[in-house]
Amino acid sequence: MVLAVFDKIGAAVLGATDTFGDFAVLAGRAFIAIFKRPFDGKNLLNQFNSVGVNSIPVVVLTSLAVSMVFAVQLAFGFRQFQAEGLASQVEGLAVMRELAPVITGLMLSGRIGSAMAAELGTMQVTEQIDALECLATDPIQYLFVPRLLASMLVVPLLTIVSVYIGFWGGYLILVGVEGQSAYVYGHEFYKLLAFRDLRIAIYKGLVFGMIIALVGCWKGYRTEGGAEGVGNAPTSSVVTSSLWILISDFFLTKLLLV
Amino acid sequence: MPVIDVVNLSKAFGPKVVLSKVNLQVEEGESLVVLGGSGSGKTVLLRNIMGLLTPDSGHVAVEGKIIAELSREDLFTVRQSIGMCFQMAALFDSMTVFENVAFGLRRHHKMTEDEIRARVEECLGMVGLKDTDKLKPAELSGGMKRRVGFARAIALKPKILLFDEPTTGLDPVMTDVIGRIILDLKHELGVTSITITHDLKSAFEIGDRIAMLFRGECIACQAPADFKANPHPVIQQFLRGDADGPFLQDPPPPKRNPQEAHA
Repeated sequence: MVLAVFDKIGAAVLGATDTFGDFAVLAGRAFIAIFKRPFDGKNLLNQFNSVGVNSIPVVVLTSLAVSMVFAVQLAFGFRQFQAEGLASQVEGLAVMRELAPVITGLMLSGRIGSAMAAELGTMQVTEQIDALECLATDPIQYLFVPRLLASMLVVPLLTIVSVYIGFWGGYLILVGVEGQSAYVYGHEFYKLLAFRDLRIAIYKGLVFGMIIALVGCWKGYRTEGGAEGVGNAPTSSVVTSSLWILISDFFLTKLLLV
Repeated sequence: MPVIDVVNLSKAFGPKVVLSKVNLQVEEGESLVVLGGSGSGKTVLLRNIMGLLTPDSGHVAVEGKIIAELSREDLFTVRQSIGMCFQMAALFDSMTVFENVAFGLRRHHKMTEDEIRARVEECLGMVGLKDTDKLKPAELSGGMKRRVGFARAIALKPKILLFDEPTTGLDPVMTDVIGRIILDLKHELGVTSITITHDLKSAFEIGDRIAMLFRGECIACQAPADFKANPHPVIQQFLRGDADGPFLQDPPPPKRNPQEAHA
């Protein structure tokens, strides 16, 4: 009985180590492959388009919605203490440091991470990845690298877009609805912020982009079991990358704010 | 020295032994056909030759190089001399026919676009598929997909061609077309080839030698005439296409009288 429990715990630990090791090895191979030739510029541009350009509407809408809701909550909360003026300062701080990077990361893990897992998963079960191998092409270099580079560049850029949209979301509520002065809002929004905060937001976007691409590609690459496997890969990718985005957000915040 | 040398190759997936001490040699320019029932390890054999799987014991050597011992870079160099045609073609579905066939050329040769176009057209012409270059794989029939797969495999002018069940799921006429294309490729390109098939008619047309895998073991590898005359009960049952005999592990359903079946 006791041995069986230890047996199960041991098997779970071994399984988790095995999974993490597999991810680490593939991630390492992807980073090494960035510097290998041939460099596929056309493939990279395609990824910029699908990862970046096509994600703009999703990021704009979610950033607008979240910043507006947050502004409503701040206006209500600070009104209790007759401190409405602080709402725009806290809005700026929250949007720049947390809301923009995390919302962008989570939305893109759902939009592009799942698409990567589904695409590579389909390629895996239809032997297209084996065909790449047989055509003397490293699938890690051909499939992972453009997605990784595109994500690592695009997620920080979309984070900046999200900050900009967040400014206008707060403006709509605090100026348009709550009646604050537009000049004061524009000034107060940035009052508590420093250049360091923008840098933190960009670093977070960079790490989140890396997580989204690597987890999405890894889940797709390791797909097995036909249609069921292809169906599970995007779900698993979104759950895993979202979890890692939230965990890494905590550590990045602690680390970068010091 | 054989171009492909399979020595004591064994491979198991968990408790299931798929290949057990298989020995096969294919000489330069020779065409070997591998027969065997479903799950007898034919595809696993090809995947070991391509280095897509690693043997549990034994080895595969291509032109004297042991595949499992090569570095990734050396393995890719060897793979450039091997063309692999997959059972379901495995075409890149996001690309057109042209881009599929041109893929290897663009990756491994410094050719101009005009040279690439000329080579792609030549390859598509060899498999009877001119004027399909703008189509996507989803717009092709099963037979056309296989032929595009052939064109993609021969684009890099390989010395070795591997065909994994190229006729499975095709109608008899298309099966014959595919058989003729393989024969044409063999004669025009002079390549060494291994073909896995269930189609006995094409097997005897294509093969210089015929091997048979049965429960992971190679039970015969000989010239077509000798293979036909081989008294091994499994081979004879396979050639007859009869359910009764030692071929199946589980007993087949009882044979009914045709009149009784139609009643």
